[in-house]
Amino acid sequence: MTDDKDVLRDVWFGRIPTCFTLYQDEITEREAEPYYLLLPRISYLTLVTDKVKKHFQKVMRQEDVTEIWFEYEGTPLKWHFPIGLLFDLHASNTALPWNITVHFKNFPEKDLLHCTSKDVIEAHFMACVKEADALKHKSQVINEMQKKDHKQLWMGLQNDHYHLIPGSNLEIPANLPASPNNKFDQFWAINRKLMEYPPEDSGFRYIPFRIYQVTTERPFIQKLFRPVATNGQLNTLGDLLKEVYPAAITPEDGEKKNQVMVHGIEPMLETPVQWLSEHMSYPDNFLHISIIPQPTD
Amino acid sequence: MAEVEEQLPLSPQDGGRGECGEEPSDGGAAVGVAEAVPPSAGSPVTEEPAEDTKKKIDVLLKAVGDTPIMKTKKWSVERTRTIQGLVDFIKKFLKLVASEQLFIYVNQSFAPSPDQEVGTLYECFGSDGKLVLHYCKSQAWG
Repeated sequence: MTDDKDVLRDVWFGRIPTCFTLYQDEITEREAEPYYLLLPRISYLTLVTDKVKKHFQKVMRQEDVTEIWFEYEGTPLKWHFPIGLLFDLHASNTALPWNITVHFKNFPEKDLLHCTSKDVIEAHFMACVKEADALKHKSQVINEMQKKDHKQLWMGLQNDHYHLIPGSNLEIPANLPASPNNKFDQFWAINRKLMEYPPEDSGFRYIPFRIYQVTTERPFIQKLFRPVATNGQLNTLGDLLKEVYPAAITPEDGEKKNQVMVHGIEPMLETPVQWLSEHMSYPDNFLHISIIPQPTD
Repeated sequence: MAEVEEQLPLSPQDGGRGECGEEPSDGGAAVGVAEAVPPSAGSPVTEEPAEDTKKKIDVLLKAVGDTPIMKTKKWSVERTRTIQGLVDFIKKFLKLVASEQLFIYVNQSFAPSPDQEVGTLYECFGSDGKLVLHYCKSQAWG
């Protein structure tokens, strides 16, 4: 039986093999080689692609380089969505590596937020953590923490520890699960407090979740949803979908049209959302759920 | 994100979402809280209920610190209006320079993303039929 803590580690250490290619219309002084990288599912594109930027800037003139942005098959990728969510939503049923196109020109103002520094990513991340706690604990837990605790959550996402595999551009995370003082422990030392709830309750006040689908115009669905029903039963993932997005559930005698995906897997619909929230949230404390078409093969 | 418009009301965003801009809300008129009603069993499998996105929600804007106070505080806003759209609107109304920063807070605790829709915020953080938003020229709550 898998220990629940193993789930936390599996989520934290999830990686997506990615190939970054420079957009063909970018002006280069010489040929730009693709750049391969294992992207952390739990992080953000602009936080983990400094090396990608440096790699391509080497073959470009300084004046042709403005803000970097990423695109997958014509869709600009929102850096403020976690990487794992972007992959699940856009590319989970396609062959690896994930092929991302890198741009330095024509920033799509209507589709993407600007990311002028790491501070912008930190501010966004912390705002999500605060919003999640507003739902879970009426902000009581996050507000009781000191500024240094907030900082520790953010520092846990920093990825300055990567090893380059000799003879390649491939990088792997250096912080092994077993080593002490690693980012995972650093992060969860604080985050565990955000996962607690009063002993007299059976869970959080409301579950922080967002449901995404590429085919709709709505950015995502986010509503108030209690982890425990009035009769004291734990609400499940199926209950959540029934309430906020019933179209995602396969009817009794119908064909399965959708996958309900979190961190690259389809949790059983019988899973209590309280458990999902505690174990499969992203570091921002939100459950980011993708509804994608069921693959046909 | 949203285009800065020359005059109020703001023009429709992309995607065919019709907007008629913000309107001042009547002082005492309480807009009924539109709880999301789960679609009936007979509704089409692929569509979500569309009626939510047409309705407007009441927003109450409160100034923080020495930020100028808006003469009209209560506004009726389209659900699909983004925070950025609201920021642009407030800046125009207060005659602030476009380059000046304006921060918006929910529950006096977090600053939502500029692309967040006010309708979603209202669903999750609204009370007494309205969404209270605090605005500030400097960072108030981080």
